[in-house]
Amino acid sequence: MKRLQALFIGICFILLLLFFGVQTLEKSTGMSGAKVVNIYNWGDYIDPELIDRFEKESGYKVNYDTFDSNEAMFTKIQQGGTAYDIAIPSEYMIQKMIEQNLVLPLEKEKLKGLDNIDPQFLDLSFDSQNRYSVPYFWGTLGIAYNDKMVDEGAITSWDDLWSPALKNNVMLIDGAREIIGLGLNSLGYSLNSKEQSQLQEATMKLRKLTPNVKAIVADEIKMYMENEESAVAVTFSGEAADMMAENEHIHYVIPEEGSNLWFDNLVIPKTAQNKEGAYAFINFMLEPENAAQNAEYIGYSTPNEKALALLPKEITEDEQFYPSDERLAHLEVYENLGSQYLGIYNDLFLELKMYRK
Amino acid sequence: MRKFRWSHIYLTIVFLLLYLPIFYLIFYSFNTGTTMNQFTGFSLAHYQALFADSRLLIIVLNTFLLAFLSALIATMIGVLGAIGIYYNKKRWLKNTLLSFNNVLLVSPDVIIGASFLIFFTMIGSWFRSFHLGFISVLLSHCAFSVPIVVLMVLPKLQEMKDSMVDAARDLGANSWQVMKDIILPFLTPGIIAGYFMAFTYSLDDFAVTFFVTGNGFTTMSVEIYSRARQGIDLEINALSTLVFLFSLFLVIGYYFISKENRSKRLRKNRLKRKKADLT
Repeated sequence: MKRLQALFIGICFILLLLFFGVQTLEKSTGMSGAKVVNIYNWGDYIDPELIDRFEKESGYKVNYDTFDSNEAMFTKIQQGGTAYDIAIPSEYMIQKMIEQNLVLPLEKEKLKGLDNIDPQFLDLSFDSQNRYSVPYFWGTLGIAYNDKMVDEGAITSWDDLWSPALKNNVMLIDGAREIIGLGLNSLGYSLNSKEQSQLQEATMKLRKLTPNVKAIVADEIKMYMENEESAVAVTFSGEAADMMAENEHIHYVIPEEGSNLWFDNLVIPKTAQNKEGAYAFINFMLEPENAAQNAEYIGYSTPNEKALALLPKEITEDEQFYPSDERLAHLEVYENLGSQYLGIYNDLFLELKMYRK
Repeated sequence: MRKFRWSHIYLTIVFLLLYLPIFYLIFYSFNTGTTMNQFTGFSLAHYQALFADSRLLIIVLNTFLLAFLSALIATMIGVLGAIGIYYNKKRWLKNTLLSFNNVLLVSPDVIIGASFLIFFTMIGSWFRSFHLGFISVLLSHCAFSVPIVVLMVLPKLQEMKDSMVDAARDLGANSWQVMKDIILPFLTPGIIAGYFMAFTYSLDDFAVTFFVTGNGFTTMSVEIYSRARQGIDLEINALSTLVFLFSLFLVIGYYFISKENRSKRLRKNRLKRKKADLT
């Protein structure tokens, strides 16, 4: 019994120590009594300095949580029980959330700086007139290649992936929309196609790609490319930016047939309890200096036109990440296909994954 | 020369497999570079970054706070539960309770997590002030730790001779005294083992926590998982190194707690034998 008592007291002591540790740390990071803004964002998707500065400037305290997929975020918000004031989903998920009444319409008069955003990133199909969302970052799907294994400039289009020289040297990102979309794009079709015949044609073409495919992987693709495990990878622009930062031999191209243009936007979920704080945060992120700092930290492209002027020239003139307007015009945004067609895309992709050359 | 044994080689390979990844990770936490591709030189920069990242530190402290506290609560409930099950008169009820306990042990974390999420959101819809956060995580960690504690304590109870309790009763002890002076001291090793098991379970749980976190409360596993998408920073290596060392200390501490007990018993037995020899 004595030993149990000693153990019990010891544990209570440790608990108190930990509790006060957390308290003092929280106090040192900000005003613990202040009103809280709950932010739900992708992992490592904001410059931590910006959060500190926002806390200092606005007097709100930020509770920052992270998620790893649109679907996980959707479930958490749909279930309720959380009180996120800001979430940052991708475009197709925003459309779905609007349809399910999970986001609040924006009160435009409270937004300051929406006109900093490049007009071509506003009023898009998934959220017309930006009634619900404000652009945060955008990017493309494209091809990253290593110039040690592939001649520089040899890859310009999706069709180049089919080249016999690339046998067993292509990695694909594990996403049904991305890969089936690539097949559709390479044939000149829309990547939101709902035509059965086009989809069939695209999968038949993709089957011919299988001898070249080394692996279909998710986020590890970045690591593999940095380690030069593969010559070519189909991946997102921000991932490519990271690869290029680590390995100077890597280049990124947006295929000329067209590709996917994606967005991650700020929304205010229905569960928000501190709307004032949410607007304060959106306005804070719309400020050109903050958007520029964030873009430099994360490596994705900012939709903030005035921030572009503040970024170093070598970033903004990089066609790989800030493509010309005519190239941009070729790019398409994913639309929410509805569960039926999403199912068809998933099935086709699954069949493709199981297909043996 | 010692005899050559295949079993030694096998054991060596197993331990290498288990520990190499950890040492590899620890090694790279001292890298000057920012990736695990190449070791470019020795530096403590990642440890500095770790100690400057107060958000991560809060998460780590919270994780341990949660583990210590949930294990404590689960141990109290679990010990009482085990005693309750053991002293149940009806055999069928005893077996049913034990089976229910075992079902909870083997049911997948994901299922437990999902059901807790649904349960807590239901509570949240009744009481507006209830939100997912520390309390919800604490409750679910307690819940999945209780069956483990029960399982660790029950064998000790079965080992205990009922005659001891009867004797205490005959000498006029009341229930509280029986509990305090006979049962609990006898169960102590089981309780300590149960506590540490519950502690580790809580510390490394990802699936359940993933579902029930919210409103600014996260644990290490959830945070590292969502960071992994962007590629894990060497800061995480530094953190893992520290946590690994901490667990090592914990295991050593546990070893001494349980060893002290054993050696006392050994000494007593030796003394008894000596007395027997003398007479």
